[in-house]
Amino acid sequence: MAKRKTNLSPGNWPRLLYQFFSSLKLAMVVFVLMTVVTLFGTLDQVENGLHAAKVKYFHSFIVQHDLFGTIPILLPGGLLLMIVLFINMTLGAIIKVRKRWRGVGPLISHSGMLMLLAGGFITWAFATDGYMALYPGMKSNRVESYRNWQLEVFPLSEDGTADKAWILPPETLQGIESDEQFVATTPSLPFDVVVNGFSRNATPIPVSAPVAESSPGKEIDGFKLAPKKPSTEAEQNLPGCYVEFRPESGGEPIEAILWAGSYRFDPRSDPMAFEFEVDGQTYGAVLAKESWTVPFEIRLDEFIFEKHPGISTARNYESRVTRFEEGEEDTALEIKMNEPMRYAGYTFFQESFGPAGSNPGDEMFSQFAVANNPADQWPLWALVVTGVGLGIHFVIMLIEFILRSRRKPAAPPTP
Amino acid sequence: MTFRISTMLPAAVAMTFSLGGCERGGSETELVERDWSGSEREFQLVDSSAERFRYQSRPAEGSETPSAGGSSNGPRLTYTTPEGWKEEPASTMRDINLSFGPNGEGECYVARLPGAGGGLLANVNRWRQQMGAEPLTEEEVAALPEKPLFGQPAKFISLEGDFSAGMGSAQTQPDYKLLGLILASDAGAVFVKMTGPREVVDENEEAFDTFTQSIDVSMN
Repeated sequence: MAKRKTNLSPGNWPRLLYQFFSSLKLAMVVFVLMTVVTLFGTLDQVENGLHAAKVKYFHSFIVQHDLFGTIPILLPGGLLLMIVLFINMTLGAIIKVRKRWRGVGPLISHSGMLMLLAGGFITWAFATDGYMALYPGMKSNRVESYRNWQLEVFPLSEDGTADKAWILPPETLQGIESDEQFVATTPSLPFDVVVNGFSRNATPIPVSAPVAESSPGKEIDGFKLAPKKPSTEAEQNLPGCYVEFRPESGGEPIEAILWAGSYRFDPRSDPMAFEFEVDGQTYGAVLAKESWTVPFEIRLDEFIFEKHPGISTARNYESRVTRFEEGEEDTALEIKMNEPMRYAGYTFFQESFGPAGSNPGDEMFSQFAVANNPADQWPLWALVVTGVGLGIHFVIMLIEFILRSRRKPAAPPTP
Repeated sequence: MTFRISTMLPAAVAMTFSLGGCERGGSETELVERDWSGSEREFQLVDSSAERFRYQSRPAEGSETPSAGGSSNGPRLTYTTPEGWKEEPASTMRDINLSFGPNGEGECYVARLPGAGGGLLANVNRWRQQMGAEPLTEEEVAALPEKPLFGQPAKFISLEGDFSAGMGSAQTQPDYKLLGLILASDAGAVFVKMTGPREVVDENEEAFDTFTQSIDVSMN
């Protein structure tokens, strides 16, 4: 049989693209690749932790995996595969498919799967998660990121306050390679900020420490910055970097080591900023956690903490809070383990408490995990839709089977 | 199943575009302005990098500055000095400094560093280098034996060889022995290191265990 020649003229490209993206073969290739990426991502999780593996393998377009730790191979990342699968399923299972009554079930099921994929995309693009820690009596609407660190530079007043800052955002700062020099500028400040030797996890070590001898970093004010292997628990990483503030008016650059460990780890303490002066104005610089606000304030009224007798395991901890919102009545409520507060698109979970090693009766802070995901309930509804579609398909198939069975002539009686 | 070039072409195009989208931006950018008015931020003003890095140095004996390790109000280290061992003055890097041996030729000290103190691997290999031994891999360090320190398992290092202290010292001490414990965590690292002529260290190995197990923190 003679092979049909494919028309590759530009005018035929839309048709070719449609054929490609709606083909069942593409779906199969995507499923195989998803299996491979899932396998490698799961294995990588053991070595590098859940968050790092998730970002590398599932939130990416392309991923480089080192097979057996040595052979680099390029694979499409989970994000690219999901997008291709979404397009493929939309074209192949919704648009291209022949519309007939017995195909209603699969159509609904595929719509549910598309909803699941769309929900995943919305979560990836728009969901936020962070935490809010409060001592009794404290009130706040500010949520801090667990993992995202940013560089903040600000004019400091004499009493150590600042009302505005210039920020190198986490997506830029945390993407700087350790051997890269990164220059950040703004016409509003009389100096440029130069970042060197950024490390996702680091410790400043005094040069008097013997181990400092083998550390290649530059000595600044009696310290060197020693990079460490990133923790498998991404929240525990404390990044650090060398910075130079280069005055535009000329003169010697001001050098410093900035380390995330100078940030606050107790809700009552303040971050310790590196202070410097340019053109007579005092400035501060700090590595700080990315933060954002929610449209209401939460005050912790009481934190209840009970331990199992004789052991250090917590038996129960819960928070009594009051929610304040402009134009709304103040609302008193409780946030307990497995009983979060859901309000205005945000969910406050009772997450943990501190300081570490506290006992009942000590003054303690309560920490809430604060999640905001516009597609929070989509997976549930997607599964319901998919289930309904499969149910309808099953019923239709059953009816068809019964009807077919009835139409069959009765078998002749056996002699 | 066969794949025609015409079918795979759009995939190649898509991959090329996605690869292009993965490139990182240039090495220069503009800072983003944030207005904090209405909820201005407060910062702790500190005098030195040491304070900013939460590093509490320990002044040498005779200093009037209260020490983190020896303040009468704060936590301090307690320990039992083995019989025949002698107290030596503490220094900025040594919380406890002891000597032993007929002529005081052996020394044993306890030091603390913030964070992991440069990491377990680096410190083990630094000690091995001082004794002329080959460096270990991370897996080999992880497999080192452990002994208790502050009630937690600390890596135990025992080395024999020619000892060179480094830190600018070119002198090499032949036939030496090093016993050490390293307890490294993100909260801080503690080092106990004993060095001396091999015979003297062998005689005091039991005393080393007694000493390390007696080290504790007192809040009084």
